[in-house]
Amino acid sequence: MLAKPDLLLEFTGINTYYGDLHALKDVNYTIGRGEIVSLLGGNACGKSTTMKTIMGVVRPKTGTVIFDGQPIEHLPTSERVRRGIAPVLEARRLFPRMTVYENLEMGAYTQKRGATYNEDLDRVYSLFPRVKERRNQLAGTLSGGEQQMVAIGRALMARPRLICMDEPSMGLSPLYVEQVFDIIQEINRQGTTIFMVEQNASMALSIAHRAYVLQTGMVVLSGTAAELRENEDIKQAYLGEMQVDKKE
Amino acid sequence: MVSSAIAAVSRPFMAMSLERRKTLGLILLAVILLIFPIVNPDDGDIDNAANALAYATLALGLNIVVGFAGLLDLGYAAFFAIGAYFYGILTSFQVMPLWSDVWGPFAYLGLVEKMNQGGPDLVHFTLSFWLALPLAALTAAFFGILFGAPTLRLRGDYLAIVTLGFGEIVPIVARNLDSVTNGAAGLNGVQAPRLLGYNFGIDATPYYYVGIGLAALLIFVSTRLRNSRVGRAWVAIREDETAASAMGINLVRFKLMAFAIGAAFAGMTGVYFVAKLQTATPEMFNFNVSSMLLVMVVLGGMGSVWGVVVGAVLLQLMQTWFLPQVTGWTHSLGVALGNSYLQNVDFVQWTQLFFGLILICMMLFRREGLIPATRKVAPLSFAAQHAEVKRGGFVGLDRIPRWTPGAGNALEIRGVTVKFGGLVALNAVDLTLPAGGVLAVIGPNGSGKSTLFNVITGLVPADSGSIKCHGVELLGLAPHQVLEQGVARTFQNIRLFPNLSVLENVMIGRHARLKSGPFSSVLHTPGNVAEEAAAKQSVLDIIAMFGNRLTPRLAQMVGGLSYANRRRVEIARALASRPKILLLDEPTAGMNPAETLELAEQIKSLHDLGLTILIIEHKLDVVTKLADSVVVLDHGDRIAEGLPDEIRRNEQVLTAYLGRAARAAVMEETDAG
Amino acid sequence: MTSADLLLQQVINGLSLGSMYALLALGFTLVYGIMELINFSHFNVFMVGSMVAMLTLQALGVVGQDTVMTGFPLVGVLLVAFAMSMVVCGGIGVGIERFLLRPLRAVKGPPAMITTIGVSYVLFNVVLLTLGTDAKNFPNPLPPIVWNIGGAVLRLREVLIWIIAIVLMGGLTYFVQYTKIGRAMRATAQDPEAARMMGVEVDRVVMMAFFLGSALAGASGMIFGLYYNLAKVDIGFGAGLRAFTAAVLGGIGNVPGAMLGGVIIGLIESSSGQIVGAAWTDVVIFSLLVLVLVFRPAGLLGRIAPNKS
Repeated sequence: MLAKPDLLLEFTGINTYYGDLHALKDVNYTIGRGEIVSLLGGNACGKSTTMKTIMGVVRPKTGTVIFDGQPIEHLPTSERVRRGIAPVLEARRLFPRMTVYENLEMGAYTQKRGATYNEDLDRVYSLFPRVKERRNQLAGTLSGGEQQMVAIGRALMARPRLICMDEPSMGLSPLYVEQVFDIIQEINRQGTTIFMVEQNASMALSIAHRAYVLQTGMVVLSGTAAELRENEDIKQAYLGEMQVDKKE
Repeated sequence: MVSSAIAAVSRPFMAMSLERRKTLGLILLAVILLIFPIVNPDDGDIDNAANALAYATLALGLNIVVGFAGLLDLGYAAFFAIGAYFYGILTSFQVMPLWSDVWGPFAYLGLVEKMNQGGPDLVHFTLSFWLALPLAALTAAFFGILFGAPTLRLRGDYLAIVTLGFGEIVPIVARNLDSVTNGAAGLNGVQAPRLLGYNFGIDATPYYYVGIGLAALLIFVSTRLRNSRVGRAWVAIREDETAASAMGINLVRFKLMAFAIGAAFAGMTGVYFVAKLQTATPEMFNFNVSSMLLVMVVLGGMGSVWGVVVGAVLLQLMQTWFLPQVTGWTHSLGVALGNSYLQNVDFVQWTQLFFGLILICMMLFRREGLIPATRKVAPLSFAAQHAEVKRGGFVGLDRIPRWTPGAGNALEIRGVTVKFGGLVALNAVDLTLPAGGVLAVIGPNGSGKSTLFNVITGLVPADSGSIKCHGVELLGLAPHQVLEQGVARTFQNIRLFPNLSVLENVMIGRHARLKSGPFSSVLHTPGNVAEEAAAKQSVLDIIAMFGNRLTPRLAQMVGGLSYANRRRVEIARALASRPKILLLDEPTAGMNPAETLELAEQIKSLHDLGLTILIIEHKLDVVTKLADSVVVLDHGDRIAEGLPDEIRRNEQVLTAYLGRAARAAVMEETDAG
Repeated sequence: MTSADLLLQQVINGLSLGSMYALLALGFTLVYGIMELINFSHFNVFMVGSMVAMLTLQALGVVGQDTVMTGFPLVGVLLVAFAMSMVVCGGIGVGIERFLLRPLRAVKGPPAMITTIGVSYVLFNVVLLTLGTDAKNFPNPLPPIVWNIGGAVLRLREVLIWIIAIVLMGGLTYFVQYTKIGRAMRATAQDPEAARMMGVEVDRVVMMAFFLGSALAGASGMIFGLYYNLAKVDIGFGAGLRAFTAAVLGGIGNVPGAMLGGVIIGLIESSSGQIVGAAWTDVVIFSLLVLVLVFRPAGLLGRIAPNKS
């Protein structure tokens, strides 16, 4: 168990509604500094709603989101980015008619130009040589895997303390999935905390420290990656069969 | 004392039902309108009233296009012009060809007369006003179809610009074709109407009464249309075109119909207006007129028949009475204060400024208009609201006709590939759905399930392959045609028509099985009446299948319903189209376990009636309960098929859901663990 | 005049008109690109710009065509007039967005566009009621320098218009391509939610787009006055039609497209006057608009297609 002061993000008692659809039901989780924490689950379990709640696209009805000791659940998205949360969006969502370089530039929108900007750019280029090669190409013309690299690079340019990734493996070939997850681990080793919403439980559990499993808006399983890898119940949760009254 | 007197008088009124109060109100209004010229014989006032009636009928026509069908037409005055010039040219002395014997029969019919102005004999057109009304309506409708056919598929704001263009071109053409229209000077000598030997002349009173007749006729037609299959189709198009098309509404046909009927209203009004003025000039039909009509519709309430009439009357009152009055008062004030600006200001010139302000204020503060088209319904009592979970499937199934599935395959999907840009959403997928069977399609996010539904129902084109429904090829058909073939669907994120009631939403499902067009709807022909009654009854039966969950809520707008109830309405709507195959896209999403079980049993009871069902569902216990067999998609490929129990244990399926573990290290760990 | 001279004259006229339409179309397309909103009031902002320019020049002592200036005073007077019309119009645009359109941003469908129709009427009528309907003499301080190229005539004002247009278009292109806010504008036009996730304050970006777009309309209005030597309250509609067609022809939402479209429409207008007569020019241009929207809605260079989304 991590001591309280080391928590970077605390999601407590979150209830989110879309109209009267109760999408997140009293969800609690924490992310410790330096960890890779993964949120798993099958279709329509509330993973993307969680992501939207952290980024501020959706506001919870009740509950708090505390980032580095400060509540952020009422702050606008741009302010959260400024405080150090950077997203890697589902299906990348690069700016298609801007070049790769310009996309990276946009990632650094909240940062001042100067020495750190160039450092960050170099770091991204060294992590992703392919991105450097293609830096003057329009982002919309890249393949899915290459776009994912750019999307991660774009997030890194914001010098974030927490990177939130929404389904990084979605739509990628197995080869790229491996590369992406390798890079996520590398970034984490370099000091960035990672929160990853991911459907591919096997890949996620191979690099995460801890994970939570959601089903129809509720946390039904949680633990270290090692614990969850051995837990048979995970299959039930994914197939939507879990009897949700039996919580851990 | 006074208050108790008022209470005494109003009690009998309040005791009456809404229907009787409405009828009484109408009778009172009719009486007032009819005696108005007798009470106030001022010709100027009567003329203003007649103009107000003309604008009201124009607003009613625009209401059909903008309010009912949601097509933003900024050049509506073009059709007004077409009707006006139609009558004007065919009765004035502008166009006078040389006389020849071929005109003889027309002269006999009273349509033309031979004239001599000191030269060769000429033809003077003398089309009767009463004949011109329907003929101009047809001509304007024709132009409506002509303008609409290439442009109605454009998106809303672009359609607005294009219609604005037509609205400008027509007066310009009128101005420039001066041999026919006498250009900017305008036609004169336009013939006044004649009725039974009485010539209307220039006195406003007979026109006023004709105006009442015209307005009453068009209010009647509008109301009849709104409450018919045609009106429902229009509103569905306005609310959600995609869902409307998926429910069997032919978008092109109904949009053209709205345009044409709206144009016809304007054409008739054009005849009336020009007959009253006895002249027609291009300025009468420019953009200012089109936008004034828009202001009337916006002010009164888009889609609200009485609303736009009120809007028209209010705007006319503003221009002809209110602003001149205020001007007079301000002048007096100016004299009293010795202020020369106040003494000389003319607020009538401020009319268009007020139009702009009205548009802005209505959009910011009351978009639904003064008299909204949708009325609020009283909230349900607690007893009516409370609905218990019903086990055991749908109730009242005996009232629903059985489906006979027949033999063979309901759906044969072969080699269907769908690509979005570089992404392959479906990769040569095969699927067979036997008639009367229930097939579940499952798979992780992004596997192509919804794309499969979209390609079956024609919302998305296929790059290759074939989809046959009882032997009929579905690929290449428009969504409404797919519905006509018997394939109905629900949507994953629920696409109901939010500003319509539960009953109207489900009635729209019935659209493709009904036949009434605009004429039979307005005339309430026996066929139409019988059809509507039967449709309503069958819809009520379908809604009753859900126990008391939906029946108490028939008149409520679906926007206010709970998520689960909206889902049920959507299923009812699909069932109303009497499909052979029902496509359900995650029907139990967002329902709690008890509601899920209830719906699963209800769907199963449908199956017992013989309906063929294809269902996307990720809750495996629902799938187990319902499905004969299961097909699993992953990344656009079909990776497994079989009985629910087999699928649950299939390694490939589990890997697809939980993700490929590409790393050898993990494999080792799980083996060891 | 030989036919070659005639052609050259038409090209000169066409390029001048085209510059004006290009700037006006550019302003319009900036807003459309970010908000997918057809801003009807844009073209009366243009008219207001010409009125403001006229009043400014009059205040600076320029009377009709009689006051001729040269050198620095000329440049100064023109700069002040341009600055005034651009700033006032930019301010009007920001006001419209902030108070009338921002509350409607969440509402889908026609309300926002209908609001801009209302604003258009208000602007038109306020000017009408305060300044009247008559055509006003637009003060022109330019010296009557003319160059004769064969039989064609090139006036100083035309060269000035081209220079101004090039400077403004170049400036805008630079702004949009190379500055931080310009990039933010482009990003917002392509994906507003993703832009927000980069920390972009979308509200500010939208205001900037309105400011720039309306300022360009103002500059365009002053060019109108310099070219035609008049200012009149009803110039918005005709110029607006042409600029809108230009924007659609070039590809709505597309910056180089608006410029290209403007020039093409300018050339068409100048030659249509000769071929079919000025009275029919409106019909020609509207017909072109309808044809483009029906057969090639993405325009020559554009991407956003005005069909079903």
